[in-house]
Amino acid sequence: MPVGSFYWKPQRVDSLGPTLHSACSSYASSSGNSDRGTELLVESIMILSNIISGRNRGKSQLLLFNLHPYEPPSMFSTLLCILCLILTVRPSLSQDDSPLGVPQQISLEKDSEAQRLSVTWKCNLVSVFDIEIYRTELMEIVFNETVELSGEKNAGDCHWNWTSAVPLECTSLSVRIRSRDLLRVSDWSPLQTTEGDDLPDNTGAKVYPLDKVVLVGSSTTFCCILGEGQVLEDIRYMRSIMREVRLSRRTYAVTQTLQPPSNTSGTNVFCRATDASMKTTVEGAVIFVGYPPADEELMCETQDLVSAICQWKEGRYTHLKGKLRRTRYTLNGRTCEVVKNVRRCTWEQWEGNWTLLAKNPLGKKEIKDSAPLSHRVHPVAPKNLSILVKNSRNATLQWSWQYLGYKAFPLICQVNVASNGVSVTRNYSGAGLSLVVLEDLWPYETYRVRVRCGAENNFWMWGDWSLESSFQTKMDRPGTPDMWIWMESDNSGQILWKPLSKRESNGDLIGYEVTQGSVSGDGAQRLDVPVSQLSVPLGLQNASEPVVMLLAHNSEWTSHTSQLMVPKYWADVDVTGSEISSRDGGFDMSWPASANASRGYVVEWFNTSCGQYCSVDWRKVPGTNTSARIESSGLQAGIRYTISVYTLSDEAPELLERRHGYLEEMVPAEPVPFLEASQYESSVLLTWQEIPLHSQRGFVRGYNVYLANVAKNTLLAKISDPSVRNCTIRKLGLGTYKFTVRAYTSAGEDGGSTVSIMLEPYTDLLVFEILISLAAMSVFFILVTALCYRKRQWVKKAFYPEIPEPKLPGQWRTSQATVDVKPSPHSMVHIVENPQWDSSKEGLVPVSEEDEDGDESGSEPTDTDSDEPGLLRYYNQVVGDSGQVLRLPIDSSSSSVGSADTDVTYTGIQTSPGPLDTPPQMEAMAAGGYRPQGQVVQQQQQVDRSDADAGAPSSASFGGYKPQCTWRPDSPDGNAIDGSVGSPTSVNSSQFLIPDVSSEDSRNPASSTTWIPSFLSSKP
Amino acid sequence: MEGQEDPQPTGQGSPATRKAVDLARLIKEDCSRLLELYKERETFPENKTSEGGPHLVSVAAISSPDVLTTVERVWHHRCALRRCLELLERQIVWEEEEMGEGGGEYEEVRQAVKVRLGHLLHSTRVLLEAEDVDQGSDHLSPDHDCTQGTEEVDSSNTMNMKIWTHHLLQDLIHWTDSAMKTLHIFHMERTGQQEQQEL
Repeated sequence: MPVGSFYWKPQRVDSLGPTLHSACSSYASSSGNSDRGTELLVESIMILSNIISGRNRGKSQLLLFNLHPYEPPSMFSTLLCILCLILTVRPSLSQDDSPLGVPQQISLEKDSEAQRLSVTWKCNLVSVFDIEIYRTELMEIVFNETVELSGEKNAGDCHWNWTSAVPLECTSLSVRIRSRDLLRVSDWSPLQTTEGDDLPDNTGAKVYPLDKVVLVGSSTTFCCILGEGQVLEDIRYMRSIMREVRLSRRTYAVTQTLQPPSNTSGTNVFCRATDASMKTTVEGAVIFVGYPPADEELMCETQDLVSAICQWKEGRYTHLKGKLRRTRYTLNGRTCEVVKNVRRCTWEQWEGNWTLLAKNPLGKKEIKDSAPLSHRVHPVAPKNLSILVKNSRNATLQWSWQYLGYKAFPLICQVNVASNGVSVTRNYSGAGLSLVVLEDLWPYETYRVRVRCGAENNFWMWGDWSLESSFQTKMDRPGTPDMWIWMESDNSGQILWKPLSKRESNGDLIGYEVTQGSVSGDGAQRLDVPVSQLSVPLGLQNASEPVVMLLAHNSEWTSHTSQLMVPKYWADVDVTGSEISSRDGGFDMSWPASANASRGYVVEWFNTSCGQYCSVDWRKVPGTNTSARIESSGLQAGIRYTISVYTLSDEAPELLERRHGYLEEMVPAEPVPFLEASQYESSVLLTWQEIPLHSQRGFVRGYNVYLANVAKNTLLAKISDPSVRNCTIRKLGLGTYKFTVRAYTSAGEDGGSTVSIMLEPYTDLLVFEILISLAAMSVFFILVTALCYRKRQWVKKAFYPEIPEPKLPGQWRTSQATVDVKPSPHSMVHIVENPQWDSSKEGLVPVSEEDEDGDESGSEPTDTDSDEPGLLRYYNQVVGDSGQVLRLPIDSSSSSVGSADTDVTYTGIQTSPGPLDTPPQMEAMAAGGYRPQGQVVQQQQQVDRSDADAGAPSSASFGGYKPQCTWRPDSPDGNAIDGSVGSPTSVNSSQFLIPDVSSEDSRNPASSTTWIPSFLSSKP
Repeated sequence: MEGQEDPQPTGQGSPATRKAVDLARLIKEDCSRLLELYKERETFPENKTSEGGPHLVSVAAISSPDVLTTVERVWHHRCALRRCLELLERQIVWEEEEMGEGGGEYEEVRQAVKVRLGHLLHSTRVLLEAEDVDQGSDHLSPDHDCTQGTEEVDSSNTMNMKIWTHHLLQDLIHWTDSAMKTLHIFHMERTGQQEQQEL
C-alpha cells in the first residue's frame, strides 16, 4: 500500500469514475516499471484534460497525490500534481459569478433524552455550512463551526445533528446557518429557536436531566430552572455544593466530572431556592451512574438428557437496578428472566449453540457456549437408596433414576460410605448404574451411604449427592484378645488383657473366659469374667508348665483362644537394668535379637514404684523386629518406668532385657531424709538417707552439700556418687553452722534438707589440759616443798630468825600507870623506824593521824586481817599514797608513847634480807628495837585494863609476846573490833612478830598456814 | 398536638385501648427511625420549611376537633392511617421495582411499619365496631374513606417519587403521633367509664 497517499473525500473517487481511479492506481502501483508508468501517466493526463474541458463537471472535487514511498517525485509526477491543483481550483473560479444561496426552511427537533438537536434545512449543491447556536436569552454562543455535509442530503434537504452537554430543557437555543463554498459564504439564515423550560409561561422550578443513566467516570451537566421570583441558594451533587453557571435568567448549570457509581436508588442532585417570602423549596433530579453489562461464563448443560439449563455469572456489578435500568437477557433470541440474581435459563431441547445477550442502558454484551449434549451431562441425584442384602462385611446398595434416559446411559458413580466419622468414597461404573455391592465393611457397624454420578464418557461434572441412607452390618467373631501375664512373685501374678475395641469385638461383647491350667491339661480352672474386668489374679499351685487361656464372647460369636505360658518371675533387684532415655515423649527400646523369639517379643513397662496395684502395659512385637517405641498417653513425667523385653515362644516367656527410664526427669519431690550432723573434734559429719524412689522423679546423680548462710549457700562439697550419703566437713571453728544437702538429677536440685549444729570446745582436751596444769603445779610445789625441807635451816634463818628475849628494866613497869591510852579503835600508827632501814624499808613509815583519817574517809576497808593482799594494800597505800615519809627520830617512840591516841605496830620489821645481807650494826639496832614494843605492851596493858574496865575481855594475861598468842585470825569476836580488828597489832603482829621461842613448839597447827602468806608477802 | 410529650404508657384500663395506644407509640418511633434512614440514604438537604408543608394525607374534619367526639376523632385518625398505609404500600412496590429488593435496615424498618400499621388499623377497627355497638350508631363505618387532598405523583420521575416518599414518611409520623394521643384520650375516657360503672 502506498504511503503518503493524501485523501480528501476519498469517496469521491467513485464519483469521478472508475477510469481515472484505475489509471492513477495503476500508475502508483507500477511506478517501478518506467515503460508502463509512462503509458499510465499519458492516460491520466488525457483523463484530466477531459475533466478540465467540462465533460465531468460537478464531479471534480478531487485532489489526489499518489506518491511512491521509496521514489522521489519525478518530473511526471510534478506535472500531474500541478494539473490536479488546477483542476481543484477551477470550479470556484468558474462560479464566481453565481452567489451562494441562504439555507432555507430551517427546522429544529430536539431529543431530550439524548440531548440531541436535529437541524434540517433546504440545501442545493453546497455541502459546507457555517452553523451557530446561541442560548437565546443571553445570546451566548455555544456552537460556531463550519461543517461539511456528506451524504446527509435527502431530496435537497440537509440534516445535521448536534449533541448538547447541557440538557435541552434547560434554556432556549437559537440556530442560524449560512452556506460556504471555499472562499465564498452566503448570508446567515434567520435564527430558529427551540424553547427551553425556562420560558415565563413555565413558572415551576425544575432540574434536568431526569433519571439519566451514564457511565461511571463520565461528566454530566445539570441545570436548575428556578421558579419565577426565586433566588438560587445552592445546587448539590449528593452532599457536595457545586459551582453553578448561569445559562439564562432562571437557569443555572453545574457539571460533575468523574462520577462514581450510584447506589441502588441513584445519585441525587438537589437545587434549593428561596422565594420572596424566604420560603425554601427543593427540587432535584436523579442520575444513575453505572457500568454496561459484563456477564461471563455462559455454560449450558442437561440433567434429563433432553433439555438444557444455561447459567452464567454476572461479572462486574452494573450498579443499575429497576425495571428501566437493569440488565435484560436474551438466550438465543428468547428473553430470560433473572429472578433474585439467579442467572439461569432453561431450554426445552438441546440446541448445541447458545448465545446470551445482556443489555442495559449503557451497553450490551454477548457471550456464547457450544457443546454436544453428551458432553454436558450433569446427572440428577439418585433417588430411593436402599440396602438389598447386608452381611457382616458387605452389603448391596440399590437406587433408582428419575429419568428414563439414564437406563442405558454410561455412568460412573461415587458411593460415599461413612462410619464413626470416617468417610470413604468408592467409584463404580456401568450403563444405567443403579446397584453396587459395598465390600470390606466392618461387622456390626452402622454406615451412612450416599451416591452421586457423572457421565462415564465425556465426563462433565458430578451430579448432586443423593439423600443419605443408613444401615448396620451383622456381627462377626471377636478378635483374639491380647493377653499378658505379669508376675509379682514366684507364685503369684496378674493375668492381663487389653479390652477389645468396637471394631475388634465385631458385636456386643458380653464377657471373657479365663482358664488356668497346665500344658498337660491337668487341674484346669475356668473363670468367666465380665466385660468391665480386664485382669484376674494368677495363683500357681505347684503346677508344672502352667498355662493361661483366654476367650472373648460377643452376642453371637466366640473369639479364638489366646494362650500363654506363665513366665518366670524376675525381681527387679535380680536384674540390673540400665538406664534408658526418652525421646519425643516416648522410649525407643531396642534389644538384641534372640533365637527363642519364635513368636516375637513382648515389651512390658510399668511404674517401678507402683507397689501392689501396678498398672502394667505391654506391647507385642513381631519376631523380625528388635526395637519398639513405647509411647502411651499413660506415661508421665517424673515417674520411673521399668521396661522389660520378653521373648515369646511355645515355651514360657523369658526375660531378655530390662531397663529403667523416665519420660522426663524432674527435680526430686522431697529433700534427702534423715539428715544428721555430728561433731568430731573440729569436723562435722553429715549423714542422710536415700530419697524414696517415688520421690526421686529422676535418676539421682549425686548430692551437693552447702553451708547455709543468710545471704547465700556456699557449696562445700559435690558428691557425684549417689551411693555416698555422708560427708565430712573439716577444720571448722567454734560456732553454729547450717548445712544443706540437696540431691540432684538431670533436671536440677531438690529443695534441700538443712541441719544445724553448734560446734563446742573439745571437752576431753580441756580436761586433759587442766590435769596437765594441775600435775605441773603439783610437781612444782612438791619440788619447792622438798627444796624447802632440805633447806629448812636456811629457810628458818631467813624467815624465822632467832629473836632474843627482850630484857626489860624494872622501873619501866612502874611508869606504865602514867600511860594515857586513848581507847580508839583507829589508832594512829606510829611506826618505829630504824633510820638505817629507811633506804631499804620504805614501806615502814609512820602514818600521820591525818593520813589515817584520810584513809578512813575513803572506801578502803579497815578490816585487814582477812586477806593478805588487803594487808599489803593497807600498808603500801599508807606509805605510798601519802607521799610523805615522816622521818622520826629513833626515840620517837617515847613521843609516840606520849601520844594519847597512838598504837605502836611493828609492822615491817622484816628479816627478809636475811642474816646474810644484814649488816652487823643493823642487827644491833634490831636487838634494841623492842623497847617501844615493851612500851606499847605496857600501854596496851593499860588499854586492856581500861577496856576490861569497860567490860571488854581481858587479854592482859599474856606477857611479852602475848599479842602474838592472842591473835584469832579465823574467829575474831565482835568485841575485837575495838581492840583487834583494824589494829595492826591484831594482824600484822601475827606474821611478823616472832613468837617466844619457848612457845614456838606449842603453836597451834594454824601457825603452819601462816608462814606461806608470810613467805608470799615477803620482799626480797 | 405536635410538640407535646407523649402520653405515658397505659397501665390499667381496657386492654384493647391500652394495646392500641402502645402500638401507635411503637409505630411512631418506627416511623421516626425510618425517616432518619431515608434521609441518610438519599442525602436529603435540610429543608425545615418543606417539613411543615402540606400533608399528602389530610382529613378535613380534624381541622375542627372541638366539634368532634373522641370516638369520631379516632375514626378520622383511622381513616388517615389507612390512607397512609395505602400510600406506603405503593411506595414499597415502586421502590422494589425501581431499585430492587434491598435487605438493609431501611427495608426492615419499613416492613415493620407496614405490618404494625396494619395491626393498629385492625385494633382501632375493633374498638370502633365495639363503640358502634355500645352507642347504637353506625354512621362511623370503619371502611368509609374520609381523607382528602391526596395528590397523585408521577412515578416516572424518580426525584418526584423520592420527595413524595419523604412527605409520606413525615405524614406517617404526624398521623401516628396524633393517633397515639387521641387513642390515649379514648383510653382514659373508657377507663373512667368503666370505673364509674364498677362503682
